[in-house]
Amino acid sequence: MLRDIIKKEILDNITSPKFVFTFLLCTILILLSIYTGVTNYRAEKKEYTAALALNKKNMESQPNYQSLAGIGIKISKPPQVLGTVVTGIEEAVGRVAPVNIAADPNLIDSKYSSNPVFAVFGSLDLMFIVKIVLSLFAILFTYDAIVGEKEKGTLKLALSNDVPRDRLILGKAIGGYISLLLPLLIPLVLGLLILLITPDISLSGQDWARLLLIFLLFFLYLSVFFSLGLFVSARTSRSSTSFLVLLFVWVVFVMVIPKVAVITAGQIRPIPSVHEITAKKDAFLQQIQSEGQKGVIEWSKKNAADAQKDVKAYQEKFRKFIQDYQQELTSKIDENNAALERDYQQKKRAQQSLAVNLSRISPASALTFGSMTLARTGIDDFDRFLASVRAYKPIYTKWINSKLGQSINFQTGETIQIKIDDMPQHIYEPQWLSQSLVRTIPDFALLAVMIIVFFVGAYVSFLRYDVR
Amino acid sequence: MLEAISLTKRYEDGELALDGLTFKVEPGEIFCMFGANGAGKTTTINLFLNFIPPTSGTALIEGVDVAKDPLKAKRHVSFVSENVMLYGNFTAVQNLDYFSRLAGKRNLTKKDYGAVLEQVGLQKEAFDRRVKNFSKGMRQKLGIAIAVVKDAANVLLDEPTSGLDPQSGREFLEILVQMRDKGKSVFMSTHDIFRAKLIADRIGFMRKGRLVMMKTAKELAHEDLTDLYIQYMEEQPGQPAPTAAPSA
Ligand SMILES: Nc1ncnc2c1ncn2[C@@H]1O[C@H](COP(=O)(O)OP(=O)(O)O)[C@@H](O)[C@H]1O
Ligand SMILES: [Mg+2]
Repeated sequence: MLRDIIKKEILDNITSPKFVFTFLLCTILILLSIYTGVTNYRAEKKEYTAALALNKKNMESQPNYQSLAGIGIKISKPPQVLGTVVTGIEEAVGRVAPVNIAADPNLIDSKYSSNPVFAVFGSLDLMFIVKIVLSLFAILFTYDAIVGEKEKGTLKLALSNDVPRDRLILGKAIGGYISLLLPLLIPLVLGLLILLITPDISLSGQDWARLLLIFLLFFLYLSVFFSLGLFVSARTSRSSTSFLVLLFVWVVFVMVIPKVAVITAGQIRPIPSVHEITAKKDAFLQQIQSEGQKGVIEWSKKNAADAQKDVKAYQEKFRKFIQDYQQELTSKIDENNAALERDYQQKKRAQQSLAVNLSRISPASALTFGSMTLARTGIDDFDRFLASVRAYKPIYTKWINSKLGQSINFQTGETIQIKIDDMPQHIYEPQWLSQSLVRTIPDFALLAVMIIVFFVGAYVSFLRYDVR
Repeated sequence: MLEAISLTKRYEDGELALDGLTFKVEPGEIFCMFGANGAGKTTTINLFLNFIPPTSGTALIEGVDVAKDPLKAKRHVSFVSENVMLYGNFTAVQNLDYFSRLAGKRNLTKKDYGAVLEQVGLQKEAFDRRVKNFSKGMRQKLGIAIAVVKDAANVLLDEPTSGLDPQSGREFLEILVQMRDKGKSVFMSTHDIFRAKLIADRIGFMRKGRLVMMKTAKELAHEDLTDLYIQYMEEQPGQPAPTAAPSA
């Protein structure tokens, strides 16, 4: 009997006009999103490779270490291959972090800032399609699942037989879910094929695991709206009411809660503005610079006697002093910046995690954060990348300072040829799968809990549903 | 056999829809229940199908208390509702097939369905057409076909003849007679005095949730039903509704 109910539910759904409409729209949107994702990724990757080469060439072509120190080094963030399905904040955040002696490194040159028209429309990635469009489809497939049958009179007719109600709702849920998955699976599989055959895209084993987890998250998210739809349709006596209620809940979940959570977190845990931080950093830099000038003058005064005695020894001593002093001052700047940064980052993280946790009441937020973490295109990953650049900065500074010290030749005034082979390299280790998984456990758990709550709600409501 | 024993239903809003209703429909008997709109006919049927719980009293199908063991009771009853839309995307045969399966009849062929649909008077061209575009009468015939296929010992019909053309109405009466001849207990609520008089073995009149008159076909043979209907259905000011002594 369960099989009959499931079969009928599927048949009823796929013969309806909404199925054809959904199927077409799903196919177009899913394929389009994967296609644009793939195109973007390939372009990003090309740009990344070009940027690396250009940076290297640029550094090598510098006449001396002074000018090398002047231009600094540009560290580019490698594009993430799973950005093809979950763009995350990749486009909004900068892709390059310039590192030099003075300034504190930061990510600049985002896709949005270099081409604001992208920001106007946002990215059309698969996650967005799932979050906005497919969740609406889940509602479309369920809003009249029960109340619609009541209106058609078929519920009464079905229950005039010895059909247990739990069997009926179970059959409707399973059949309805299968009919929702049908228009999704075919384009999704096609999309995966596109990923497989595109030449520049190679997914490692870990990437596949991440992709599967992302898809699992998608299905859980859609199941939330599916069971919510069943629930509301088992609690209303008119399908138009059911649809309106669901639309309202959808807007609250998808639009309102995430925004309100961010605003609320900003109110509860304010953070200093970037300008404040920059001003503080600049003030300290100026202070150190004037201190440095004073230091040099003092040193010269103190050692003025030596200059008369042995010029060569004096110059050697001066060079040594400058080298050490420079190093001392830069590390002071670094320390100050690091302390400011630590404080700022700590406050920002506190605000962020509050916003994330507040917004998690909404399945849309759980989907967004979870999938970004799994795709490694989320906030964490950028923080992590920036942290790795900041950790690299003192290493680089030390190297360039030592080079600068050695390069001054007071006799000839000549500078020695630069060599960047021994320059320390920046290393970035993206988050491991296990780390990402741990971070996404709350998202999986929240979605699962919502599914269970809504489904049990639908089940219990249907057992007592007034079929007349 | 269908049996109501002081069946009473008071809705949540305080409306007393059924007030101590008692009657019996024996096997091989057609019982027609008359009553103005709001008299309580649909409520009675809903109680027999356990769609609503009784406030007091009992509804029995084949001796099984509907409220206590609804699934067992429903095994023995077919139901034709007042207005069923059915699944619009399905054809007549697909609708019939689904409900037959729910009724536990899973070995029927397309031929069997065709025979039943023909019997209820649905035109052949409509068998494989989507029900969405059916007229009310066509849907009603399909609903009757669903009840026929279930072939249960008891049949509940809620104003089934509304929407049927005269030709279909006659075919429908034939089906009811066939059911009776097979020994089924048929309970039909209706406004259709003329058709009821043709086939009913017993007739009951309901007013405000009470059975105000019950007569056998024999007793009614020489009476004008229309007069009786008006006599019993009209509101009689200041006078409580008369109660019928249950006959049979
Ligand atoms: N769900 C309900 N809640 C409250 N009152 C109801 C409900 N359903 C029916 N009634 C009332 O019960 C009475 C009997 O209704 P019903 O059995 O549908 O009459 P009939 O089928 O004979 O026209 C009417 O007065 C009606 O208003
Ligand atoms: Mg009625």
